[in-house]
Amino acid sequence: MTTTGQTRSTPVYPGRHADGGPVPGAGATDETTVIPVVQDLDDPGVPDDEWDEEFRPSRGGWVGRGLVWAFLAWLVLALPVNRFSPFEVGVADIDVLSLAAIYAIGGLSLNVLLGYAGQISLGHQAFVGIGAFTSAYIVTNLQLSFWLAVAVAAGFGAIQATLLGAISLRLSGLYFALVTLAYGTFAEETLFGIAALTGGEGGKPAPRPLGFESGYAYYYLCLGFLALVLWLDWRLTRSKGGRALAALRENPRVASSYGINVKAYILLAFALSGIFAGIAGSLMAHHDEVIVGSSFDFRLALLFILMTVVGGLRDRVGVVIGSAFFALLEEKLLIEMIERLCHFLLEPFGLAGWSIGEVLQGTVGLPLEFVGLIVGPLLLLLTITKYPGGIGQQVAPIRLWLTGHRFDRHAGAVTEVEVNDVRA
Amino acid sequence: MSQLLTELGIAVVAGILQGSVYALVALGIVLVHRASGVFNFAQAEFGTVGLFGAYTAVVLWGWSYPAGILFGLGAALALGLLTERLVIHPLRNASRVTVLVGTAGVALAAVGIQFWRFNETPIMTMPKIHEGFFRIPLIGASVTVQQLITLGVLAVASVALALFFRSPSGLAIQAAQQEPTASELVGISVRRVSMLTWAIAALLGGLAGILSGPYTTFTAGFLTFGAGRALLPGFMAAVLAGMRSMPGAVLGGFAVGIVEQLGTLTILLSVPGARAMMLFAFLLGVLLLRPQGIFVGRAATA
Repeated sequence: MTTTGQTRSTPVYPGRHADGGPVPGAGATDETTVIPVVQDLDDPGVPDDEWDEEFRPSRGGWVGRGLVWAFLAWLVLALPVNRFSPFEVGVADIDVLSLAAIYAIGGLSLNVLLGYAGQISLGHQAFVGIGAFTSAYIVTNLQLSFWLAVAVAAGFGAIQATLLGAISLRLSGLYFALVTLAYGTFAEETLFGIAALTGGEGGKPAPRPLGFESGYAYYYLCLGFLALVLWLDWRLTRSKGGRALAALRENPRVASSYGINVKAYILLAFALSGIFAGIAGSLMAHHDEVIVGSSFDFRLALLFILMTVVGGLRDRVGVVIGSAFFALLEEKLLIEMIERLCHFLLEPFGLAGWSIGEVLQGTVGLPLEFVGLIVGPLLLLLTITKYPGGIGQQVAPIRLWLTGHRFDRHAGAVTEVEVNDVRA
Repeated sequence: MSQLLTELGIAVVAGILQGSVYALVALGIVLVHRASGVFNFAQAEFGTVGLFGAYTAVVLWGWSYPAGILFGLGAALALGLLTERLVIHPLRNASRVTVLVGTAGVALAAVGIQFWRFNETPIMTMPKIHEGFFRIPLIGASVTVQQLITLGVLAVASVALALFFRSPSGLAIQAAQQEPTASELVGISVRRVSMLTWAIAALLGGLAGILSGPYTTFTAGFLTFGAGRALLPGFMAAVLAGMRSMPGAVLGGFAVGIVEQLGTLTILLSVPGARAMMLFAFLLGVLLLRPQGIFVGRAATA
């Protein structure tokens, strides 16, 4: 490995070795890459792993990547002297960050369904909410440990999702949307209305686990769970099950003719999604410390859809970023953070008085509490009609660069044509 | 026992009246699904937008009621056509789940704008067309004239739709639904047919919203997840119709309305959210026992 990739000018295209010869088995003879029907779920834009083997970043490249990694860690871990994440303000803001991590778990949960299995759930607030109340009940009423509560909440989530999925799979997958919509309403009005279990109007206390009472400790706990969920998700996409899901999403009939048990794998996706949702619910309960049923309403389900789709389906980095984006937007911290950043950057030029919030409120006439309500759906529509890759596609070049690949502006482009069922 | 019977009678009457709103929504859902195979989650929001349009015109601007209704229908129509232009057409080659997300996005955007523009008075009241109400003798159910008007409009709309589908434009829609390529070959513009379908669906939704809005006070997202929730019942009515039969959608609307009203019986008083529970149980029952629908001859195709 003597190549210093950073200085070499000839680009290496997918499907070709550096010497210009076709890669055996890559299925392409020129620059026009033929994207395989079933793509690697992990790197939507990189059809072959081998083409990058030639490339090794130079020492400077490694240092640069290391610096960016360190910056990201500083940002995500909310370490001191951090102007962009909320160290300066403290407890209230770190709670918002915990919520962002929890939403990211919820977003990944929906991503398993919507992205991998191609099924839409409009009742995710019920999965999350039942996880939350289960966890609160176990910790408060039964006085058992938090860790057990998370596990049971995850199990409950899996059971619900699998049962609902099994019912709606009798018909086309779109009926799952309907069943979950009805289930969400039912859970909201009936299940969360049972005062004996949910504490009624006053809410249900859900104390934080021992050792994680402080905002910071709880935030790191949430990050830990997020890492666990990301790892499970990654293992799923790398396993036989993940490949089967990719195949059957593209074309169930072809997949089933290759011996893939379509229903079993879709149910597997439902179960996994339910597990993630249960974990998210449990964490949300202990995050709020007192939970009421009305916080798990239909709008939460829609928020999960926004996060997943705008984040970029099948792109777990994108989904996490999208979830954090919407969590911060919902809690009105995002605008504050942008303002802090602007303030920091503009201060030397004497423009510190400028405020994005005032511009929105004064010029556009959009009060801050409605920004999320307006921006979210517009981003959603824009994403699905123009940029189907979502945020994940936008950050893919940076992500690949960070993981030691060459910087490629076009990485992560969603070229895949979704197969429509052909009308006779 | 007799008390239960009385309550049942009242529930049936109230169910049919409430069901006529669901039937209007369901008609729009079935129409769009037949035309493009889309589950239109914005259908109820067409109604809320129509209602907000009518409210703006009548209450805020002081227009006359008929003009207000026309303005509301115009608003719903505009949203329907915009949806077709900006979301449905660009996504014509996307998977159905993507289109579903798109329609949900339209609904969400509309709800967001309602919250934003009407945030001074979050809870609004739309005056009724006619304030009268009376009791049906023997059963004892209380009926408002407004509800009867809704039922009448539903009847007129159903007949008009049935007649329309025998006219050349209606036949063109049916042809384009069944065989798009062949219809293009004989000179039917599938594009125009799609616009026409969404326009009719939006008008049906708008009618549902404008007529049911005065039943109670309303908020943003009234028909989608607010007090006048008609999205889920409308979909259930459409499922009962196998997502394809128009008369089935009307009957399904009544059936869903009655089932929902059964949740108001005294024996279920101790159950919280009994109406939502009845709807969920009913949907599960239908999907488990007769997933192809009840008020339909041929099995629904996936």
